[in-house]
Amino acid sequence: MTGFGTVTHKGMSNMKPGFLWFVAVGTVFGMFGASLVQADDLNDLFKGYLKSKIAPPAQEQPVTASAPATQEVSADKPADQLLKALMGGNVSEQEEVRIGQQIAGNLLGAAPLVRDDGLQRYVNRVGRWVALQTERPDLNWHFGVIESDDLNAFAAPGGYIFLTKGLYQRLNSEAELAGVLGHEIGHVLRKHHLKLLQKSQGIAAIGGLLGRKLKNEHEVVQNLIGNGAEVVARGLDKDAEYEADRIGLVLSARAGYDAYALPAVLAEIGHVAKDDKRVSLLFKTHPLPEDRLSHLSDAVADTLDALPEGQSGTGRFYRLR
Amino acid sequence: MIRVSQRGISHVLVSVLGWSCLLFASSVFGMAMPPQKPTQSVAAGSNAVMLKADDLRAAPDSKSTLLLRVEKGAQVRLQVSQGGWSQISSAGYTGWVRVLSVRIQSKDGIELSDLGALGKKPQGNVVAVAGTRGLDEKQLGLVSYDAAEVERLRSYVIGRQEAEQYAQAAGLHARDMSYIAAPNQ
Repeated sequence: MTGFGTVTHKGMSNMKPGFLWFVAVGTVFGMFGASLVQADDLNDLFKGYLKSKIAPPAQEQPVTASAPATQEVSADKPADQLLKALMGGNVSEQEEVRIGQQIAGNLLGAAPLVRDDGLQRYVNRVGRWVALQTERPDLNWHFGVIESDDLNAFAAPGGYIFLTKGLYQRLNSEAELAGVLGHEIGHVLRKHHLKLLQKSQGIAAIGGLLGRKLKNEHEVVQNLIGNGAEVVARGLDKDAEYEADRIGLVLSARAGYDAYALPAVLAEIGHVAKDDKRVSLLFKTHPLPEDRLSHLSDAVADTLDALPEGQSGTGRFYRLR
Repeated sequence: MIRVSQRGISHVLVSVLGWSCLLFASSVFGMAMPPQKPTQSVAAGSNAVMLKADDLRAAPDSKSTLLLRVEKGAQVRLQVSQGGWSQISSAGYTGWVRVLSVRIQSKDGIELSDLGALGKKPQGNVVAVAGTRGLDEKQLGLVSYDAAEVERLRSYVIGRQEAEQYAQAAGLHARDMSYIAAPNQ
């Protein structure tokens, strides 16, 4: 924690507007130190990875279940490699998953999984089936319903998808669930959040520290994503949301579901009063449902006319008690 | 030749009889014929608003008779939606528009979200959330990594095969469909 504080203040000498943001983040870090407490837990997770870099023959730590470790021989430390990859825009799948896992773990720190095994398994079955209709079918997709009355859903790089219990309870069918998950899957496919991180001011600042103060990958990842899970509260470009809507609709249709289920969810969300606290974050980070429906409507036009009607899956829909 | 004309006559007779019966039945039971002409019976359904201008058609088919052009923002009554089409009533006509052209304003006819607020930005800076922990940006910024929850999340992950088995049991069949491009503005 102190290490990070020192770094930020040292960096103030070559201060740029972008750097101010970074410093502000660092200050909050210093004040609360919340996110760095977890470093102990996470260090364990990444220790194995670091070890594998230092001593290649050692047993590989299963940081991610799917991606194989990068085998390229490099004199760089893993942290430097990751930073260079991010700055150059060549993030490997393994690195993408590592970033996503960090964000997912932070989000779960705010809102844990709903304690309902049946629900979580169900959402993973539907979600994985929808994800199989994409160009990344073999990514290790994780789906979860989190404990919150808010109406929202989140995606993190590498295939981490969450929706809130509040939103789940508003859904009426499996097709609607598929549409919501499809929208979030769309963000992962198009790497919207990863691009947001790469564009963020902080990365340039961290880049300036290459090979110096940031000792390990965990620090790089955590610093990159900012405080906790704040990154998921950062709004994406409106066009990214419209694109995810189009993808969600197509993916649920590909999976055999009613293509009009996602628009139905948007219409349903539109019925929630605009000043309802449960949608304040959603409406802050997304275009209004009316605008999303309009865009979807314009984009779809007559493209679905020849499509046979899909399943709603209402009977199979897992109802929360 | 004779046989053919006889057949023709009987066919005409059957048709006339058929239509008379139908007319008789509809008058007896008070059934309306398919809505080809303006009708004032628009009591049923929900309040809805047109998200975009669209053609009101006599049947849920883009090749059926054009009844009326319904403008964006028009207040209509939505009767039912099926497939890609919604049956609406507008300006005395009842017909079909594309389901994505119209948005229901509420389920029971009472508007929940103020129509006047459409297009306006939502009120910002509402951060206090009652009940469970909120998910506003401030609180999200103060959380820490929960390794146990990540492990739990991982325990629910399923593989390709299990997902395919689930879909098969559910009768879900994968379909080919291209991604949809952004609309030209």
